[in-house]
Amino acid sequence: MNESWRRVDEIPVTLVVVIAYVTLFVVCRPFDAPQEFRERLDTYGWLTGEQTAAGEPWRLLSYAVLHGNVLHLLFNLSTLLSVGPALERSLGSVRFLLLYVVTAFGGGLGTCLLYAPGKPVVGGSGALFGMLGCAIALNMRSGRHLLAFLDYEGPRRLMANVALNLAIGYFLPFISNTCHVGGLIAGFALTFLWLAPGRPSTRQWAWRLATTALLASLTFAALLPVTRRDWLDRAREAESDPARKAALERAKLLSD
Amino acid sequence: MLAPTTRRRLGAALPLLVVWLLAAWPLVLYLVHTRDPVAAVELAQFAARWLTRLAVGAGLLLGLACLLYPPLPAWLRLVGHDTWRRLGTGEAPLRRALADLAHLETAQRRLEVARLAWHRGRAEDAAVHARRAIELDPQVASAWHLYGQALFAQNAIDGAAQSFAQAEQLDPGHAFGDALLLHGRCRFLLGEPSGLELLRQHERQHGGGARSHVWLAEALLRAGEREAAVAALRIAAQKPTRRTTAEEGLFRAQARVRLWRRGGGS
Repeated sequence: MNESWRRVDEIPVTLVVVIAYVTLFVVCRPFDAPQEFRERLDTYGWLTGEQTAAGEPWRLLSYAVLHGNVLHLLFNLSTLLSVGPALERSLGSVRFLLLYVVTAFGGGLGTCLLYAPGKPVVGGSGALFGMLGCAIALNMRSGRHLLAFLDYEGPRRLMANVALNLAIGYFLPFISNTCHVGGLIAGFALTFLWLAPGRPSTRQWAWRLATTALLASLTFAALLPVTRRDWLDRAREAESDPARKAALERAKLLSD
Repeated sequence: MLAPTTRRRLGAALPLLVVWLLAAWPLVLYLVHTRDPVAAVELAQFAARWLTRLAVGAGLLLGLACLLYPPLPAWLRLVGHDTWRRLGTGEAPLRRALADLAHLETAQRRLEVARLAWHRGRAEDAAVHARRAIELDPQVASAWHLYGQALFAQNAIDGAAQSFAQAEQLDPGHAFGDALLLHGRCRFLLGEPSGLELLRQHERQHGGGARSHVWLAEALLRAGEREAAVAALRIAAQKPTRRTTAEEGLFRAQARVRLWRRGGGS
């Protein structure tokens, strides 16, 4: 028991995330009337493309600690507890925290840019997919060559697990697979380019620069989706110049 | 034809360029939007429409071309095979082998480095290390063979021919006749009549596969022996009894096309 508690000390970020998941779920009072529960999820920060573009960018992170029902919470908790501790021990707590934040953000960007703008999204699954992406990148980096990890049963199962979950997300309409894919890519890229051990080469620095620019640019696109109907509609309402207002109206009609 | 170094640099730079273009796209749309919101929406829709059309069109065209022209799927297989081999040969063993050379340098160790560089697709590096292995021990036939292959890949045909000749002289039938075959090919490319003789000798001694028969057919055609050339192409185009390498597959597909052009069938 003492040994287990000692080992618990090694994963503070995982534990904080677990506590955040459970606390926020309880605070949202999921067993009240569904409408009230939805309103609370909205207040605490579910993610929609519309609200993010309407000046609420914090939703790009807050959605990743909220959950829609008990099954959702338990499923994500079990995944977090099976993947998180090993990753936190191997990366270190600060890097693991960075991984969680960046992958949740990546999942949020995927949702804002590619998911239906008015449909709300909650759950840590984007960040959990990011952890799987991180595990794949670590495996790729630690082998004799980039594909050496495919020779082993464990990493092959990991890849199958990712593929299976993406397939499930594709076929179930209430799951935002764009969030999963965004988190997966963010976790993979962050680990492969920044977190994996070894001295970075010039080429790696070029990739770091390019992917950082891409992340910044996608964030810009999520906050200012200038070709999306809802954003154009809001921009039209806020506009005072009649000519510009008419142009925004035409653009809105065209974007349907 | 681009030099291997240029091709490698281009291959590394293209994906980066795509990422930078993707990063620039939202900014371009925003800049267009500030001038004319309708134009920004039209531009986004135009790009989406044409990217979809291009992707679907390219897929269909590729599928159709693969059906109609056999060397294309064979070439795609070869490219896939080469890429897999390059990715599957790690940088770390090469670096380790290079570091080990600082402690003890032998011809075999230098040859190992050359081989790893060759498998990574770096013909220039492979040539440098193989040359050094030859300096350390000129009696190693495989070093001459690899040096010849590296020069051949860089289009230095004259030097390659001499290397293959040396490998064949040191170890007759070296690498199951590969040194002899490549020697013959080099002499043919240099326009020397001995090329045909060497390719014939290779066929007599080793039989050969699609590649050697296609090369033999080319040499026979140049010598004016049309019937013998068609016979060699027929052998090259024969359906293999076992799974062949990607390169052999490409030569077989080329042989089939040449036979069709000559009305010989396969």
